[in-house]
Amino acid sequence: MDQAASVLLDFPPEGGIAGDAQYHAAAQSHSQKLDQLAAAPNFPGFAPQLLDHVHPAVNSNSYLTLLIAARAADRLPQADLLTKVATFLSTFDARQIRYRGKAFSALLDWLVDGSLFPASVAVELLTTALLRLDPAGSVLTSHHVALVKLAYSTDNVAPALPLLEKDVVFYPGVKGLFETRPPCALDLPPASYITAESGLTKLLSSSDVMQYDLLRGLCFIRRRAWRPAFDALERVVTYPTRDTHACSKIMVEAHNKWILVGLLLNGKAPTLPATTPPGVQKTFATLGKAYQAIGKAFEESTAQSLKTEFESVGAQVFAEENNLGLVRLVLQHYQRWQVLNLRQVYTKITLEEVRARTQSAETGAPLASEADVAALVQQMIDEGMLHGAIVRPPGAPAYLSFLPPDEGRSEAEFAQRMAATARRLAQLEPLVRAANERLGTSRDYIKYLAGLQKKEDSGRRDYDVAFMNQIEDEDLMTGVVEGF
Amino acid sequence: MADPLLNFFTLMENQVGVIVRGCLFADPGAGRTRFDRLFLIGRSSVPLCVDALKAAVAEAKRGKDTQRYREAVECLRIAAPSEPLATLDQAWLEAQEMANHMETTRLLTELKGYKNNLIKESIRMGNEDLGKHLESIGDLNAASETYAKMRPDVSTTKQLVDVGKHLVRVSIQRREWGMVSAHLSKLGAAHRGEEEKAVQSYLEVAQGIALLGQEKYKEAALSFLAVDSGVSGSSYNELASQSDVAVYGGLLALASMDRDELQTCVLDNTRFRALLEHAPHIRRAVAQFVAGRYSACIATLESYRPDYLLDLYLQKHVGNIYSQIRSKCITQYLIPFSCVSLDTMSKAFGGAEQPIEDLLADMIRSGALAARIDTIDKLVTTRSANPRAQMQDSVLQAAENYEKQALDRLRRMGLAAADLELKGSKKLGPHGFASQSDLLMEETLS
Repeated sequence: MDQAASVLLDFPPEGGIAGDAQYHAAAQSHSQKLDQLAAAPNFPGFAPQLLDHVHPAVNSNSYLTLLIAARAADRLPQADLLTKVATFLSTFDARQIRYRGKAFSALLDWLVDGSLFPASVAVELLTTALLRLDPAGSVLTSHHVALVKLAYSTDNVAPALPLLEKDVVFYPGVKGLFETRPPCALDLPPASYITAESGLTKLLSSSDVMQYDLLRGLCFIRRRAWRPAFDALERVVTYPTRDTHACSKIMVEAHNKWILVGLLLNGKAPTLPATTPPGVQKTFATLGKAYQAIGKAFEESTAQSLKTEFESVGAQVFAEENNLGLVRLVLQHYQRWQVLNLRQVYTKITLEEVRARTQSAETGAPLASEADVAALVQQMIDEGMLHGAIVRPPGAPAYLSFLPPDEGRSEAEFAQRMAATARRLAQLEPLVRAANERLGTSRDYIKYLAGLQKKEDSGRRDYDVAFMNQIEDEDLMTGVVEGF
Repeated sequence: MADPLLNFFTLMENQVGVIVRGCLFADPGAGRTRFDRLFLIGRSSVPLCVDALKAAVAEAKRGKDTQRYREAVECLRIAAPSEPLATLDQAWLEAQEMANHMETTRLLTELKGYKNNLIKESIRMGNEDLGKHLESIGDLNAASETYAKMRPDVSTTKQLVDVGKHLVRVSIQRREWGMVSAHLSKLGAAHRGEEEKAVQSYLEVAQGIALLGQEKYKEAALSFLAVDSGVSGSSYNELASQSDVAVYGGLLALASMDRDELQTCVLDNTRFRALLEHAPHIRRAVAQFVAGRYSACIATLESYRPDYLLDLYLQKHVGNIYSQIRSKCITQYLIPFSCVSLDTMSKAFGGAEQPIEDLLADMIRSGALAARIDTIDKLVTTRSANPRAQMQDSVLQAAENYEKQALDRLRRMGLAAADLELKGSKKLGPHGFASQSDLLMEETLS
């Protein structure tokens, strides 16, 4: 047991390690020792006692090994184990853990299967742990996919938001990369150590990736955060395809929701981004017909066609496609957008006129009374959707006054927003550099470079026969074909 | 007699869509289009209906086209059953149909003879005669085919121009505006020499009519304005009279050009100015528009609206052209003001059919006018553009777009590098989908 303790406390040595290379060697040998230790038959027996002597933030790898052994032996009281897992996940050393990817993944899987923690805690711990591992959140892992499923299905979206709001740009499973730096290098982009080989993630399939973004979209929809929901769904809609005919059911589902969310967000039907593959666009046109029709009807000046579109398809169909809630919300919001669009024509308008000029898409008719209109407008003002006020002058009908849009943005405010944008753009730089490094060192690209160099080395360019036949004798003198 | 008239116009309202009420003088003009114009007036004008239809019947009987005779009599029969002309003259019909038939056969036989003799000029003339005959009996389809057959046997420029004119004329009668343009483009290259000016004018008129038919008002206006007033109207009389050209040109220019253009292209256009003398009211309207007296301009035009509604080519477009002119007037009117009361606007522009407020609302919504309406204080405020705010908006927008695109490209590279692009799998489902693990999709909003 003492020997085991000395192994466990062996790494990291006190006083620290100077270079990456030494750290790498020490961490690797320590990791092997931990493997041997874990395989020892009596190890699970005394693991729980040792846990108290090992610091989770300093000796993270050892602590992790002990935790797994302790749970396997089932010798620790449940409450104790839970505290320790939680402490570990919120304090572990993200540099060390790169060497124990498989064990770490196993620990995270405990959270997902729901046997340890209630879902709300599990989601929060997973989010913390994954953000500690990769603060930028740029790499998708199998844990992300499991987390979003858990968060969505148990309705614990809020704690997962910090992770879900990150933009994922790297995916595991890249082949033929050469990474010369050891995994512990501090300047190593997360995408280089969060790989299937390191065990920190499993390989993903394209449907996993799409499901992740779709479920993210659904999470945001549940929180009524239309902007991020729209962006998340758009990622699925524009998912790249290799074959012209390939299209996934997930994409169609995302497309349908994407149109509805777009209506709620912008008050008009979104147009498919140019990056949508053409074959997919065709599929959308057939399978998303009802939704595209709704999008079109939403832009009409009367509510009748929207109502007709909805009724011709029927609530049943939307319910089967799990969009009924959204569709109903779209119908509710139609009139709000109509009121909002009056802003482009009027500065002041009586509530009675608002009533006459807008219709509810639920009934296809104007609201019954002026009081209803006032309530609707007031609600819009309260929600911040409408910039205006209801004025009730004595002896005259009440009217809605649209306040002028705050075009007079102050210089300071503008500068501030520009600076914020610049900052966000600067944050992209490490991602770009990482992508550049990764692709620049990939095997195929190097082959291509080598081929190019070879040609240049051979002194002259490679003209094919067809080109040579076109060239007149005079052209030879003007230097069209150098070195010929 | 009122009752059948009412019935007739209910019927016509469904067919033609334009009914003119109000008494006026309408000149059907002369030439080949006389019947068409009379017939149109008869079907659209309440006060002139019976007279025009009677004239149309007489005109039809003077010609050889039995079909149009039948149509005219049919209309007259519904509108005024008691008129003596409202019954079909069976004897004339039969005799004329027989004569037509014999003439067709005769010309066909002749043409056959010419073809056997292989003399190009005779074949061309034979085709021309047959085409003219077919056109006069109303078989326009066959006529245009026959005219087209003249083309291979053409030997001089003059003949080529003739072929083109025949084809253009028939196409206009068939209301095939696209074909008119196609024939015109073939003609455009051919003409030269002494007759150039006459041909040129003919071309411009035909082109203008075709473009008007296709609702390309600006181009049509330019075509009409290019007609040379020095050329006698007879060279394009079969299409339109000189006053027609002046009206078309002036109206379309009003609808599609701004004040400077109107001044230079219409009023200062020496070639066109002489033509405008044939339509002084149009010149007045243009001058009023240029001078900024918009309400006077609109009033002038309004007083002639019924006339134009009875015009063969303008009829369908009058409403459109007028509303364009009106909205242009309003836009111009508002330019010097930051705030105008609705009452003033209503006095200046208020039309019977649409209150000024709705008109303004429509214009603002379509983006033609940058203004806001205040229905409480009855004001229209124009909105001045704020270039600084616009610039700031567009800067922020651009930066945001850049960020979004950069992320999207990185993501695509990432997906491509990880070989995660969607591939069509071998086992396609019934909808051609790649197989998917079933996805838990709950209702998203409770």
